[in-house]
Amino acid sequence: MSSHARTDAAEEGETETKKERFTGSGMARVEDHRILTGEAEYIHDKAPEDSLHMALLRSVHPHADIVDIDTSEAEDHPGCHLVLTAEDIKAEYNPMPAGLEGFEEWSLADGRARYVGEPVVAVIADDRYVAEDVVDLVNVKYDQLDCVVDPREAREDEVVVHEEFGTNVGDHEELVFGDPDSAFEEADHVIEKSYSWGRISGVPLETAGVVAQYDDDTDSFDIDCNIQLHTLVDDTVYETLGYDPDDVNLDVPPDVGGSFGTKIAIHRYCCLAAMASKELNKPVTFVEDRIENLQGGDMHSTEREYDVKVALDDDGTIRALDFWFVDDFGAWPRYPVNQVLKPLSVLTNAFDVQDARYEYDLVLTNKTCQTAYRGFGVPSHLYALEMLVDDAAEALGIDPDELRRRNLIEAHQMPYQLPSKNIYDSGDFPAALAHVQQRIEEERDGGLLDPETVEQKREEGKYRGVRPTVHIEPGVSGSDWTDRQRSDREGLEERNREDVAELPEHLRAEIRPDGTVKAYLATDTSGQGHQTLVSQLLADELGVLPSDIEVGYLDSETAPTEYGTAASRMAVMLSGAAQGLGKELVSNLERLAAETWDCDEDDVTYRDGAVVRVDGGGEETLSLAELAAQDDESGLTRASYDYEHPTTQLEQFDEALSKKLPVYPTAAFAANAPIVEVDTKTGEVDILKFYSLRDCGTQLNPTIVEGQAHGGLAQGIGAALQEEFGYDESGQPQAITLFDYKLPSIEHIPELELEHTETPSPFTATGAKGTGEGGMIDGPASLACSINAALEPLGVRADQIPFTPNRIRERIRQVEGEE
Amino acid sequence: MSADDTSGSLDRPTEDISLSINGESVSAEVEPRHKLSDFLRDAQDLRGVRVGCEHGVCGACTVLMDGQAVKSCLTYAVQADGTEIETVEGLAEDGALHPIQEAFHEEHALQCGFCTSGFVMASKELLDENPDPSKEAVEKGLADNICRCTGYQNIYDAVLRAADRMDGESTVDEEEEA
Ligand code: FES
Ligand code: FES
Repeated sequence: MSSHARTDAAEEGETETKKERFTGSGMARVEDHRILTGEAEYIHDKAPEDSLHMALLRSVHPHADIVDIDTSEAEDHPGCHLVLTAEDIKAEYNPMPAGLEGFEEWSLADGRARYVGEPVVAVIADDRYVAEDVVDLVNVKYDQLDCVVDPREAREDEVVVHEEFGTNVGDHEELVFGDPDSAFEEADHVIEKSYSWGRISGVPLETAGVVAQYDDDTDSFDIDCNIQLHTLVDDTVYETLGYDPDDVNLDVPPDVGGSFGTKIAIHRYCCLAAMASKELNKPVTFVEDRIENLQGGDMHSTEREYDVKVALDDDGTIRALDFWFVDDFGAWPRYPVNQVLKPLSVLTNAFDVQDARYEYDLVLTNKTCQTAYRGFGVPSHLYALEMLVDDAAEALGIDPDELRRRNLIEAHQMPYQLPSKNIYDSGDFPAALAHVQQRIEEERDGGLLDPETVEQKREEGKYRGVRPTVHIEPGVSGSDWTDRQRSDREGLEERNREDVAELPEHLRAEIRPDGTVKAYLATDTSGQGHQTLVSQLLADELGVLPSDIEVGYLDSETAPTEYGTAASRMAVMLSGAAQGLGKELVSNLERLAAETWDCDEDDVTYRDGAVVRVDGGGEETLSLAELAAQDDESGLTRASYDYEHPTTQLEQFDEALSKKLPVYPTAAFAANAPIVEVDTKTGEVDILKFYSLRDCGTQLNPTIVEGQAHGGLAQGIGAALQEEFGYDESGQPQAITLFDYKLPSIEHIPELELEHTETPSPFTATGAKGTGEGGMIDGPASLACSINAALEPLGVRADQIPFTPNRIRERIRQVEGEE
Repeated sequence: MSADDTSGSLDRPTEDISLSINGESVSAEVEPRHKLSDFLRDAQDLRGVRVGCEHGVCGACTVLMDGQAVKSCLTYAVQADGTEIETVEGLAEDGALHPIQEAFHEEHALQCGFCTSGFVMASKELLDENPDPSKEAVEKGLADNICRCTGYQNIYDAVLRAADRMDGESTVDEEEEA
């Protein structure tokens, strides 16, 4: 299906312009060849000849005082080069930047361990095998302390994770929009429910890796690593080391084996390897193993307990919403992660509601720290909201489809401002919902939902159901709001537009002597095909072939401290930057040609990869190679461009920006209808078919768009049904191998019936909206609603994510017991 | 800080092995505890062999040993003594991609690509044994490999496309090729 779509797109382009346009076509990726042949060099592949290797000793206790660390036996091992403890690094370096004020976290546990897997000692040895031998020789004496695991309980402060901070509630805020109190008072009904969202995360197939090399002569560091957002979060490394940004060069390889947000928080490893490298004056390599990654790799994501309320009138009009939740941050508030605020950008999802309250407690517990993950706190919010709508429909006796339809934002209301001040750019949500409803209707007529089949299956204990829902994917991150928690709250009131940090994306390019183009991304990438996208876009701007354009990367020192890959940002930001850069380069080249010909700039024009003289005088042209040869000192064959973040160009966003409320200028959306079958005997959920109509504005490369949707939905399915970082009551993590953290395999992913519409964004240069987080954002909520539909006759709700077979069986037994 | 200048290593026992890797004979001295994955990656510089979990679940390290897919992270190098090992590096001939590699490219069956070598090798075992696999056979053949990025549909399509192509009678719409 998708491949036909891309052929069509290419053909259309041809007839339209008589020439192939690459943007909008499903061009296959330029990244693939090196990966397929095993030539790609991921961070795990980098190993300088003389590199030593690091291994970490990690706490086995969730909460314990470190009474003594005896390293003598380890140091006696002939393959051991260095043993580092907190004491060693405190003498020379700084604590790691924290996500909230008032915390001092060192790269190794300092006096107290606060979660299982927290690094306590680093050893550096000849190779990883020996390093692990050496780790076994380190003797740590612990005094165990009581621990706190349950986030609601943590609020009671019976066990406090950070004594000097005094409470486990790291932060708390209540945001009120409109007048929810009156609405709750006046409305005909108030429905109140609780839902929970378990710890899940991206679990990229490639773990973290670092090769750090200290240079004695220049007193500086070269650090190769697979950190995400390397130009933004490089401060987590240079500040910890206590060096200037110019002296700590982070370089990320062109191929990174997945991140999905998670790898922004791997700075601890970078710092430790760098410290060891300085001490030993040799390169030091660290490759995190999977068990380390799962239990103490600082890469778990959102875990939330929600108490939510909705006020409705008899006719089903939603009057107000009220969200309260506790978010379990784990043992430390991890810089730069703060996922509690982003849901404000989609506070009411696709519903037209203007009164709402949003309140949260951010708590600390004896668990692994939180990092970012695809969707950045939004998936759990949409889940809680959609569950609440289902429960409200049941309470009011209204058909849930009808309740949703009645409250959806209409196309004519676009652009639509949410009570929380973010703005949806464009889209027709009711039409999208109607479309998937139609697909479902077709299934009722002899298909998967044929009443006879459904009835027959039910007799076998298999309950089928589907419930269409619409979801917004807020796109194009700007980071200015993410440190709201670290800003003076009162000061926020005084803040105005001038105080808002700009968040552009940088791109540069140069014409090489052979006439080909070399472009440089200021961001890192982990499989999204950015090189392909930029080569497509620039090829169109310059009238050359994508194969004439090579795309490389800038390291943290060379690249401006700009933003990078986050929150479905790159399609919009890179396409805007490529367009701007192309125009800049073209005008440069025209100037250069005019200088060469000694004529007026109006007498030349750029056309199809050459500058042509148009002032009569024949068919004179200068090719890109010829122009490159002309370029002495003028630098006119080079250009760089910063594409401004769309919100900074639009007054409508000023209020949100200046109050540090999350702004996302694009609203990609999806209407989903997964048909599920729940086996009430085993509790297994079988997704028979997944209908999804998706819209991410202009599709720059439909193949990549489709790939993102498939991948996102697979993660959404895993999150909804099987993945979880559980903990037992004593604080021991329950998922420390991939046998326990159950990633979906090919057998778990159903047939996806994807369709796409294109509603270009009026706010972005190319109309693109971004699409990197979609399926993970909308998958879990839509599956939960379909499970609700299937289990309606039994009165069972998918009130806990993941809704695993044992939980389903438990709930069924519960309601049976109640009868 | 406590640095130790004495370099050198403990007495580490080794064994001699000889095997064929991608058609070439190799002899080496390895520690009995040395994993085949590490041996291939580090000693033989075949970095296309990836390690994602090192405990046998993800399949990123899949190579063929005497034609059978094995997880090289669960195999010791000494166990490969006398066998024929094939890795992803051995597939492309004179720069031309193997049909399986080509199909992965055309179907966009890779994103970050970290799982890809493993999937390609698992697909090779599958198609060598069963050139015309059913949907179920493909699912079974790839069920031991995890991909975190693609959602599998494209991988599945790639295997079927490769099967068509390797069969000689392509039913694939040629126009679809980029
Ligand atoms: S690395 Fe061998 S199965 Fe995961
Ligand atoms: S492509 Fe990333 S894990 Fe498969």
